[in-house]
Amino acid sequence: MNQALFFKGLALASVILLSACERPPMDSVQRGYRGTGMVQVYNPRTIEQNEELHAAPMVMPPASPDGPKAGKTYQNVKVLGDLSVAQFTQLMVNMTSWVAPNEGCVYCHNPANFAEEGKYTKVVARRMIEMTQHINSGWKNHVAETGVTCYTCHRGQPVPAQIWFKEPPQANGADFIGGRAGQNLAAKSVGLSSLPSDPFTPFLLDSLDIRVNGTTALPTGNRHSIKQAEWTYGLMTHMSSALGVNCTYCHNSRSFSSWEGNPPQRVTAWHGIRMARELNLNYLEPLTATFPSHRKGELGDVAKLNCATCHQGAYKPLNGAPMIKNHPELVGKPAPAQVASAKP
Amino acid sequence: MPQYQNLFTAVQATGPTQSGVPIENGEHERALKPFFLHLLGRIGNAQIGPIYLGSLGLASLILGTLAFNIIGFNMLASVNWNPIEFVRQLFWLALEPPAPVYGLSFPPMNEGGWWLLTGLFLTASLFFWWARMYRRAKALGLGMHIPWAFAAALWLYLVLGFFRPILMGSWSEAVPFGIFPHLDWTAAFSLRYGNLFYNPFHALSIVFLYGSVLLFAMHGATILAVTRYGGEREIEQIVDRGTASERAALFWRWTMGFNATMESIHRWAWWFAVLCPITGGIGILLTGTVVDNWYLWAVKHGVAPPYPVVFPVVVDPATVMGVKP
Amino acid sequence: MAMLSFEKKYRIRGGTLVSGDLLDFWIGPFYVGFFGVTTLFFSFVGTALILWGASQGPTWNLWQISIAPPDLSYGLRFAPLMEGGLWQLITICAIGAFGSWAMREVEICRKLGMGYHVPAAFSMAIFAYVTLEVIRPVLLGAWGHGFPYGIFSHLDWVSNVGYQYLHFHYNPAHMIAVSFFFATTFALSLHGGLVLSATNPGRGQVVKTPEHEDTFFRDTIGYSVGTLGIHRVGLFLALAAVWFSALCIVISGPFWSRGWPEWWGWWLNMPIWH
Repeated sequence: MNQALFFKGLALASVILLSACERPPMDSVQRGYRGTGMVQVYNPRTIEQNEELHAAPMVMPPASPDGPKAGKTYQNVKVLGDLSVAQFTQLMVNMTSWVAPNEGCVYCHNPANFAEEGKYTKVVARRMIEMTQHINSGWKNHVAETGVTCYTCHRGQPVPAQIWFKEPPQANGADFIGGRAGQNLAAKSVGLSSLPSDPFTPFLLDSLDIRVNGTTALPTGNRHSIKQAEWTYGLMTHMSSALGVNCTYCHNSRSFSSWEGNPPQRVTAWHGIRMARELNLNYLEPLTATFPSHRKGELGDVAKLNCATCHQGAYKPLNGAPMIKNHPELVGKPAPAQVASAKP
Repeated sequence: MPQYQNLFTAVQATGPTQSGVPIENGEHERALKPFFLHLLGRIGNAQIGPIYLGSLGLASLILGTLAFNIIGFNMLASVNWNPIEFVRQLFWLALEPPAPVYGLSFPPMNEGGWWLLTGLFLTASLFFWWARMYRRAKALGLGMHIPWAFAAALWLYLVLGFFRPILMGSWSEAVPFGIFPHLDWTAAFSLRYGNLFYNPFHALSIVFLYGSVLLFAMHGATILAVTRYGGEREIEQIVDRGTASERAALFWRWTMGFNATMESIHRWAWWFAVLCPITGGIGILLTGTVVDNWYLWAVKHGVAPPYPVVFPVVVDPATVMGVKP
Repeated sequence: MAMLSFEKKYRIRGGTLVSGDLLDFWIGPFYVGFFGVTTLFFSFVGTALILWGASQGPTWNLWQISIAPPDLSYGLRFAPLMEGGLWQLITICAIGAFGSWAMREVEICRKLGMGYHVPAAFSMAIFAYVTLEVIRPVLLGAWGHGFPYGIFSHLDWVSNVGYQYLHFHYNPAHMIAVSFFFATTFALSLHGGLVLSATNPGRGQVVKTPEHEDTFFRDTIGYSVGTLGIHRVGLFLALAAVWFSALCIVISGPFWSRGWPEWWGWWLNMPIWH
């Protein structure tokens, strides 16, 4: 009788456990040599649910480059002057649907005077166009020929769904107790783990060391700490969730620091980190004074980007749909030698 | 017709409670009037109590409770004294060791000072408890096997929280007090030091961990299988071998070609269990002090398996730029 | 020769499940029986296949030898021998050998008039192995999900499968299993220590009694489970450790595709917290 009760209890516990889980069947993709365990596991039902989010926007047939240039025809055209009026207008229409489909042209413009600089959104949008052009020309080592448009981040929203702000200092009951050193709370930013919850400021804004491993078996001066490893782990957890992949997408975990035999995606990701840093530093932070306070974080800092801003859970944004093929105007002139720090 | 397997006691004989073997000078310390719990009696003895409440035990409990409370209050403070958030996020909360910048010095209370103090109280509590185990064994005229087993566990505890941080010059290397955070520490430790699976002492410790589970399954099952011959009366069987011990030994001899005795199986058990924290502690102590990257160490010693190349060759982009990582 | 002093009287016929008296004999200390033959067969073939596989591989270094499962692309089909088929055959031999070993233990129990607790417990371990190499791969649709046969290569597999879920320590069944592993080891040290302390009490002392054992644990922690109870508890802790281990890996993949920390969202988002 006791035995039956025991097994019933066990079954009940197992059912409770499983009810919070997903269900088979799952799709799995092998990466790496067989038997190494480098595998991506996907839930096809989740993939299906998210199809709409990752669908590429509609593409209009390209406008004619003939005719007068926008810079000669309109006032106060600072960035897109070389486009024809037709191309310029089409880009504006696209931008409206990509960024502010409900708000319309008036989100950025004064309808009585389209050239007027009054709204902060117009200033920001101009800088964002420059940023997009820079990404598509200067960061080919990350975005290749696929490229990005406004839609990649904005997805029909004035404010992208995935942005980050700096964390305010810990709300403490008292100053002498309860300090948690930026970690030890359930944080969405690190996939609900108790790892440090803001890995973005040190690694996607500042250039603190991501690498913590030594390059020799015996100690030869590598003084990185376990805590630093936790911070790196937090960043990597974010990258995994942002791309909808697990650690083995880029790494063979038997040696995270080795590059030998690693998937090429790791190199792309390496450049992605540098790109995020540069964009946050050179395009977003300088806009701090431009944004109104309701668009800024608790500390008055501007919204910044991380991997999730573009990827939003897909291994390539919009599942790799080509974005700049139809928008050569969003590709800037080839950039001079890479400004980004090569610091790992 | 299903057979009774002696997994749960079907009929419990009750009688007067047992007050324990008499000890010199200590009877008055035995507190808690013993009582029976019938449900417990289905598995083992039904009697709860008495318990020996001596000064060592009392000191241990006080210090341990203090440590426990410091941890708890720090956790509560870290969620801004909100009791609901405390329960909701309990597994995520922690008392964190100091940042690396403080080295081995005493940090501000809110930046690791409480952790250090807790560590001190907890360690003292454990030492008092060890002394209690030692004294109680001595008082009953028993051997010191349990205290020495406890010492093996204390070795691992001290390596993790004391010896190794001192050798590394930083309290920040030690483990936080918290459910998920101590697991984060475990993962980060392996990440930082090049994959602990390649640490040979880690491998040995796991051998003894799994081996202990194997041994207890084997021993527990074997004894239960011969309880019909009085096998669980192990002391009697050791000094005067009966058919229970004989059948148990022969089972294993016929199965795997060799066997233990009723006494020696307990030596196998003790050593396997004790070698788990001993070798584990050695493995932790060597990490970071003697070896900085266990995978590279394994490669150096020809132990890491090669895999066929599957991806096109990639080069560390940091080296391409001409900058050392 | 290979017999213990008291052994002869126990070497009787009977207790066999299959083939009766034909294989009911001993070789040295080893009991044979029908399942001894099948064990030998599967073990021999499996080991030979491993050795042959090693000879076709890049190394004879004991730590580096590895026989890998097939690519996922072969699904649940038989793969070519050198593309994972060897692994499949070895797995079949392993299951055959383990199963035979358990059945042989049953026959030995019957002969010795013992309960079947040992083979029953061993079956839990076999179940864990089958979960890893059969049940989970089947649920995921490919034999390639099994672990390779190699000392360090199987650890690389463990590491990578763990990181498939970003932070495997957060797997709730894994947490329970690990707790049971440590609890078993702890309890084993106590039980081994207690029996030895009673029978080896030190210089000048007499061998003690179960009453001393009980008194020690009542004095120190207020409760003593007793001589019978500790063996039930030990067996339970050990089997629970293995059960939850099997559970923790079978849910990783077939029943959860994301990071394990994220699983805890159900607790964090319960309506009662508002």
